Amino acid sequence: MNHSAFRTPWPWLSALALALLGVFVLYPLLYIFTASFVGEGRSGWLQLLADRQSLSAIGNTLLLATVVTLFSTLIGVPLAYVSARYRFRGKLFITLLPLITLVIPEVVTAQTWLMILGNNGVITRFLKGYGIFIPSFYGWFGLITSMSFIYYTYVYIGTVAAIGKFDAQLEEAAQSLGTAPARSRIHVMLPVIRPAILASALLVFTMVIGNFAISTILGHNVRLLSVAIYQAAVAEGASNLTMQSTLASISVLIVMAVLFLNRRVIARGRYEIVQGRGARPQPLRGAQGVLVSGAAGIVVAISLLPLVTIAVGAFTVSRGPVMRWGEWTLDNMARVFITAPGPLVNSILYAGIATVISVAFSTLVSYLVVKKPNLMTPLIDYVSAIPLALSGTVLGVGLLASFNGGFLALTGTSTIIVLAYVIRRMPFGMRNGQAILHNIPNSIEEASISLGSPPFRTFLRVVLPMMLPAVASAAILTWTTTVSELSASLLVYSGGRETLPIQIFRLIDSGLMAYASAYGLVLVAVILVPVVVATTLFKVDLFASK
Amino acid sequence: MKKLAATTLLLAGLAAGAEAADPVIYTTNPVPAVEAAQAVIKDKAGLTTGIITGGSGVLLRRIEAEKAAPQGDVFWSSSANTMGAFKDVLEPYSSPELSAVPADLRVADDYFQPANLHVVTVMVNTDQLDGAPAPADWKDLADPAWKGRIILPDPANSSTGYTIVWGLSKLLDAETYKALVANLVVSSSSSAVPKGVAMGEYAAGITFETNSYSYVDGGQTEISIVYPSSGTFTTPEYSALVKGAPAGDDARKAIDALLSKDSQIELLKVAFRRPSRTDIKVSDYVKLPELSSIKIFKIDEDEAAKSRDAFLAEWAALPKAGSSE
Repeated sequence: MNHSAFRTPWPWLSALALALLGVFVLYPLLYIFTASFVGEGRSGWLQLLADRQSLSAIGNTLLLATVVTLFSTLIGVPLAYVSARYRFRGKLFITLLPLITLVIPEVVTAQTWLMILGNNGVITRFLKGYGIFIPSFYGWFGLITSMSFIYYTYVYIGTVAAIGKFDAQLEEAAQSLGTAPARSRIHVMLPVIRPAILASALLVFTMVIGNFAISTILGHNVRLLSVAIYQAAVAEGASNLTMQSTLASISVLIVMAVLFLNRRVIARGRYEIVQGRGARPQPLRGAQGVLVSGAAGIVVAISLLPLVTIAVGAFTVSRGPVMRWGEWTLDNMARVFITAPGPLVNSILYAGIATVISVAFSTLVSYLVVKKPNLMTPLIDYVSAIPLALSGTVLGVGLLASFNGGFLALTGTSTIIVLAYVIRRMPFGMRNGQAILHNIPNSIEEASISLGSPPFRTFLRVVLPMMLPAVASAAILTWTTTVSELSASLLVYSGGRETLPIQIFRLIDSGLMAYASAYGLVLVAVILVPVVVATTLFKVDLFASK
Repeated sequence: MKKLAATTLLLAGLAAGAEAADPVIYTTNPVPAVEAAQAVIKDKAGLTTGIITGGSGVLLRRIEAEKAAPQGDVFWSSSANTMGAFKDVLEPYSSPELSAVPADLRVADDYFQPANLHVVTVMVNTDQLDGAPAPADWKDLADPAWKGRIILPDPANSSTGYTIVWGLSKLLDAETYKALVANLVVSSSSSAVPKGVAMGEYAAGITFETNSYSYVDGGQTEISIVYPSSGTFTTPEYSALVKGAPAGDDARKAIDALLSKDSQIELLKVAFRRPSRTDIKVSDYVKLPELSSIKIFKIDEDEAAKSRDAFLAEWAALPKAGSSE
């Protein structure tokens, strides 16, 4: 960096970005780590060794994450394969899957599963009639089933593109060299798509570690890390800042280890497909077609069930916690819009502000990192990726502990909710922005500057318009994931600042399914409307950067 | 970017400022109860109230954290043994409405105001009895046939759970108590108890009358409430004034309204909260028995609060059903 560099705005913006990241990302994280060592009484790590319940929570969480990752992969990869390579009846529904994962609140999913497979559930009662008893849905059975049927979609999304792009000529070459079709697929295709599968499987692993909503509803006797952190943070009689910080640190360390592994694995096993031509999907007919569309149909139908449940529940009469299925009403919806519209307004306001801040920040910062590197930018790059290792619960605990008082008291404000949103979702915008900027040649920018346009104006007039489609898709993905955020905001929200997911969580917790469904349905709409408008009116390709 | 951040902070500040004038109630109560109370407060005192909900531990600790600059005005409601530890952030208030409350429910200096009375009951799902007769008393639930079929809120993080287990340990002989505990499944969330029984996950749950009755009232015919024949116990829930409440006198008015006859009738009708006042006849409004017809044991809440740590340690060591260890 020479002297003249300081005449451009970039070093200053870098310093500002680093300062913001330092205060809002590094400081809470360090606060947690420090508190785990020096808190009230003994170091949290020593306490932990003596605490069998916490140790079992860690063991259970790792086991659950492993099993769910395995099942998700076993469902997601075959589904991705058939949908990338074949055409069959009802295939259109599979393309809806990515949206489903984005729109259905996890609490609703857990509740729906209980209504189907719980002790009094539809299927359970049916099987009981035939003398078949299935295990209680609370605990391992329920956790594994419901999480696998949510998270396989991430494996599907992560793998389907890789399979689609796989050059079929390679497979044909292998076959013409005498390898059987099935073998050629395993030996030629698998190595190429393996990084994509591994990356999405590891993503699922980290998501299970951080999962709060399903863990707390279905966990019961199975102690899990995120629930233990939440309880250490909020439960009465257990105000243990040290323990909460220690457990949070463990969660962070596990996820960091996984992310590190992810980098290593993917860096090692990358195969480049040069000018590949993707295989054209083959039609499937006859028995094979029925079998594939039947199997895929079942998987998709199961994933869609929660949506159907809330759509019906939202218009069903209820008295207190008791649903009167078959009797219809508009009262629940009237509640969302007229009697108690607070959560709807809050959600739109907070998620809207957070999306704007998050996208603006990540666009600018990824520009700095990719195009204007200086001494600070590698650091910015690292620090801005840290939130990926923080589950919502950990982030919530960190923010709550660090900004409770002191130099920046944010507890009980709307700012802390927006802040939690921005920190949680900003890394996605960063990844997206950097991917796009790598594809924009420097020469265009240099041409503009050499023609006399100042650097910042060049950024606004030349670079930004080229980034715009990607920024738009990042904005929409940020919006959808922010509106549905629960675990961090649940810890930092204060009264009157409930968002839709928080309200749904509270209502389901009180057993008021009808109201919860109404808010759930509105949440789905709030998420979907911008997606639909963007993809149909503005032709934004949502998964452009994937 | 900077401008944006500044605007956000400003917006957030404005939002916080606009709400400051109305009393803010930190409440552990479910949505229908809160709405009924809000309506009465609006009606009687002309006050719009802000609501913050959460578990009693969360909320009390938040009040403690906000000691320097209180954000809430009223806490509503929890048991005396939970609130006792937070006396230094609360303020005594002798509401005129307390004259209608029996003296034995009131606490010294009126640090907290008795808001309603909970009766510990057994919620039974008759569909899950598999032909067996419904339990009539605690000792029936101590039968090994009930192992893993009774759910109870975790005493370690729910005041309901603590009240229940403490009471049972005093009410039952050591052997029955141990056998009953061995049958229990502990739930980390107290709301999972009535839900678990209503959904048929468990045949029975030990919970407050109010929670079970919402299902009976809703028309779920397989749910019944058992008042154990050898006796059960009650526990009052209290409201309290936050020390340095920003709404000042309006906070006191909100408590008065909360304790008023209208409010307690409304809460009885909507949320099935048994009133703390003596001037309300329960059976006029809901199909719940009068308190005088239930056999009640007196439990010492002060002692319960004092021996909490020792009791929980003892509790943790007792074998239970469905525990992962």
